[in-house]
Amino acid sequence: MNTSNTKEVSLGHSYDGIQEYDNPLPGWWKWLFWGTIAFSPLYLMYYHNGTPGRSIADQYTEGVNENTRKQYAEIGDLQGDEATMVKYLKEPKWVGVGQAIFKANCVSCHGADGGGNVGPNLCDESFKHIKTLPDIVKVINEGVAGGAMPAWGNRFSHKNDAILVSIYVASLRGSSPATAKAPDGSPIPAWPKD
Amino acid sequence: MSFAEQPLSPQAVSTDEMARNSSSGREAQGLETFSYDDGIVRMFMVATIFWGLIATVAGLLVGLLLVLPNLWQGMDPKYSSLLSFSRLRPLHTNAAIFAFAGNAIFAAVYYSTQRLCKCRMWSDTLSRLHFWGWQFIIVAAAVTLPLGITQSKEYAELEWPIDLAIAVVWLVFFGGNFLMTLWNRRERHMYVALWFYIATIVTVTVLHVFNNLVVPISWGKSYSVYAGVQDALMQWWYGHNAVAFFLTTPFLGLMYYFLPKAAERPVFSYKLSIIHFWSLVFIYIWAGPHHLHYTALPEWASTFGMLFSVMLWMPSWGGMINGLLTLRGAWNKVTSDPILKFFVVGITFYGMSTFEGPLLSVKSVNALSHYTDWTIAHVHAGALGWNGFMTFGMIYWMLPRLFQTKLWSKSMAEWHFWLGTIGILLYIIPIYMAGITQGLMWRAMDDLGRLQYPDFVETVQSIVPYWWTRLIGGSLYIVGVVMLAFNAFMTWTTRPAKYEVPVYSAPRLTKGYHDQPIGKSKLQGVPVIDAAVALDKVAAMDWHRRWERLPIRFTILTTLAVIIASLFEAVPMFLIRSNVPTISTVKPYTPLELAGRDIYVSEGCYNCHSQMIRPMVAETQRYGEYSKAGEFIYDRPFQWGSRRIGPDLAREGGKQSSFWHWTHFEDPYKTSPGSVMPSYKHLLTERLNLKEIPKRVEAARFLGAEYEFELSEVEGIAQRQAEAIAADIIAQGGPVTFEGELIKDSTAIALIAYLQRVGKDLFAPATPAAAPAEATAVTPVSGAPAADLDGNSGESGNSDEKKE
Repeated sequence: MNTSNTKEVSLGHSYDGIQEYDNPLPGWWKWLFWGTIAFSPLYLMYYHNGTPGRSIADQYTEGVNENTRKQYAEIGDLQGDEATMVKYLKEPKWVGVGQAIFKANCVSCHGADGGGNVGPNLCDESFKHIKTLPDIVKVINEGVAGGAMPAWGNRFSHKNDAILVSIYVASLRGSSPATAKAPDGSPIPAWPKD
Repeated sequence: MSFAEQPLSPQAVSTDEMARNSSSGREAQGLETFSYDDGIVRMFMVATIFWGLIATVAGLLVGLLLVLPNLWQGMDPKYSSLLSFSRLRPLHTNAAIFAFAGNAIFAAVYYSTQRLCKCRMWSDTLSRLHFWGWQFIIVAAAVTLPLGITQSKEYAELEWPIDLAIAVVWLVFFGGNFLMTLWNRRERHMYVALWFYIATIVTVTVLHVFNNLVVPISWGKSYSVYAGVQDALMQWWYGHNAVAFFLTTPFLGLMYYFLPKAAERPVFSYKLSIIHFWSLVFIYIWAGPHHLHYTALPEWASTFGMLFSVMLWMPSWGGMINGLLTLRGAWNKVTSDPILKFFVVGITFYGMSTFEGPLLSVKSVNALSHYTDWTIAHVHAGALGWNGFMTFGMIYWMLPRLFQTKLWSKSMAEWHFWLGTIGILLYIIPIYMAGITQGLMWRAMDDLGRLQYPDFVETVQSIVPYWWTRLIGGSLYIVGVVMLAFNAFMTWTTRPAKYEVPVYSAPRLTKGYHDQPIGKSKLQGVPVIDAAVALDKVAAMDWHRRWERLPIRFTILTTLAVIIASLFEAVPMFLIRSNVPTISTVKPYTPLELAGRDIYVSEGCYNCHSQMIRPMVAETQRYGEYSKAGEFIYDRPFQWGSRRIGPDLAREGGKQSSFWHWTHFEDPYKTSPGSVMPSYKHLLTERLNLKEIPKRVEAARFLGAEYEFELSEVEGIAQRQAEAIAADIIAQGGPVTFEGELIKDSTAIALIAYLQRVGKDLFAPATPAAAPAEATAVTPVSGAPAADLDGNSGESGNSDEKKE
């Protein structure tokens, strides 16, 4: 075996011809190892000493509150009554928010543009369980027809979500989707204008 | 180095040793002659190549099924269901780990142990039993996994009869044979490679046994004795350490033997070997919980997982340093020798993976990477780069020696190296990009605090091009493996008519050996306190030298190192109730749901769908309230998953109509255009066996689920729930019969029953009769309108059945 490097000391071990040098641990290796060991109790003490706001659950709650403020600080808690819904139906920004909620949760049954799939077409004039605007909120929150339309009340992170997505659904009425499922239910009066 | 080189003759070494021994006057007499069993090494080597081909081709197939989910469209669903992604993905991982890497380990151990111990394996019969037993286990895996016979715990999918076989083959045939060989060795001290082999054998046994404790109900089905959070902890204690002690420690042992052999250079540092061996073995075992960051696992366990992973960084790199620095003075050889090239790149990938591992275990990084392809890229860097290349280097080194001829083509080995290297890069780079892209898309929020990509399918579609590129990389890697197989075959054809079996001689070890006296400390006589002198002596490692000649003590110490660390995490998890706060509304599954859950497990749904929503705003906005530990107390095994190829299903219950599920199983495209989920049409035609359900309920009851009905009522209860769900589907516009059979009798109905239940109990009414629930045990953090919850009882049939 080649042991030409004179600075290194061979230990005289030989296993099937394999020898070993007596080199020390590389300094950077040793200090990084000590560093990671020293870091651990510090981390543990910081995050697990019981100070409020540092646990994952606390940080999440804070995140949710901040997110809620970001979403709804401007409008506060909405009521799902007719007057409110008529008002927001005229505000494209909030209909857009409703559309985002719709895209996240509703398209797999009602189609990307509300034309219907497993669920009914939302763009035509016929409805099965809806006569007024607040009925939409009720159907979304509580579900109808034995789970055919599931109850979504618990699934949204804020009460406003159900109301805004209802507004978006209301806005779909009269639009022309790419593929439209045949009308179901019976025609109802037009939404109030104001 | 020259490929024509004959096996190094240990004769010379033995005489050296003899001379040394006789000069010390202790072991002069009793020369024994012996030969090595290279036949068993040849068998394991050939098996390694064969399973390497199978494992990589299976990988290519599952990769293809992701981009072409309808590949089997023309096939009868009865057969195509056996070849779905969710059934084949475990086959690929098991083949890569246990068949390919496993056989490679055994080839390395059998070749090197005999030579390091100057001793033939203790029993040729045990060696053969080990070989054939292991191959039988692999074949059993290849048959049962596509059939859906699975425990669904990653890398521990095999059902209990096969697990028993593994325990016997591993511990008795392999472990017994190995330890007896150590006992009978003619080399006084054990070389570092052997330490790693000892750690491997001991720890894999412990992991395997404790993760696979189950209650069987038939030859092909069992339930984990652990549930939910505890099951998850045990599984990832196992899963992580399977990587540690099946894919790391034995390969480090392999490196410590074959690298200095091929490079003909001494190992860089004996001291580093000692420190990195013990720190690796002790620290690794704690790191498992880093697979469960932000889950329902208690935060303290998750923190332990992260901190020990970070501390593991340097111990892992110790192996890399000792490998790469051993090559100092031999770099000129690397340029001309494909074997050393394989080793250098393999060790480099080891260094990369073991840096990335601690990085991914940092919670905030994991928040992005978890459930994405980043993990897939990470494991492939390790598996293809480290395990694959170390194995290939070893095989090219052994081929001329074992077949006692020249390697058929050195240039083909060179080609294998380059194609393999480019293949790995083309595989991992796009998949890293895919992982980061999808992770960022999942969490992206717009100015209004809404998900920017609310449609899950959109995030999948954005990474499909990367999946295609990955296939090119994987194919190149496979071409390399084919070249290896061909080269090995051609080498074999030029073997001699009869293998030479060299006979060696060495003295038997005698009792009454005296360790070399501890050398004088450099500090002796220097004006320092006595403790410093003592410390200096400890640092000189002479105590360890003593352990190295005591295999039993060494084995016991290694066992203690892994068991103590394991107990620190497992015992509190099982004994302290507050780790899994109970939720009063969480009830056992109904008989039909239980049967449906077993279908979910058997189909391998967990391979693409997680059931664990993390407490992150982007995640709860997408999927609903985050998962709580108490929700999983009846989940045996847990189904949290590790990769979201499809969306999370933890709050799937009641999210879609039952008819939606029915349609979705028939053709996912109908409900989710752009989805990469294949059709599960066979579930619509398969009949559910009601007679098997009582056994499932009995097992659940035995494991602690409280049911108020008798086992004799189970079939009727299941039947009624199935009828109720079928009625719902029909009412929602679904068919009464499908391909001539009533839909109520199909397995799909049971699966739908389960899916409609998942994650619902958290918001269930506190008492069965209660009207709209005010009193949920856990209030949604952000004040979701609990009061809006509709009682809905009886409508889907679920809650009614529960109460009967």
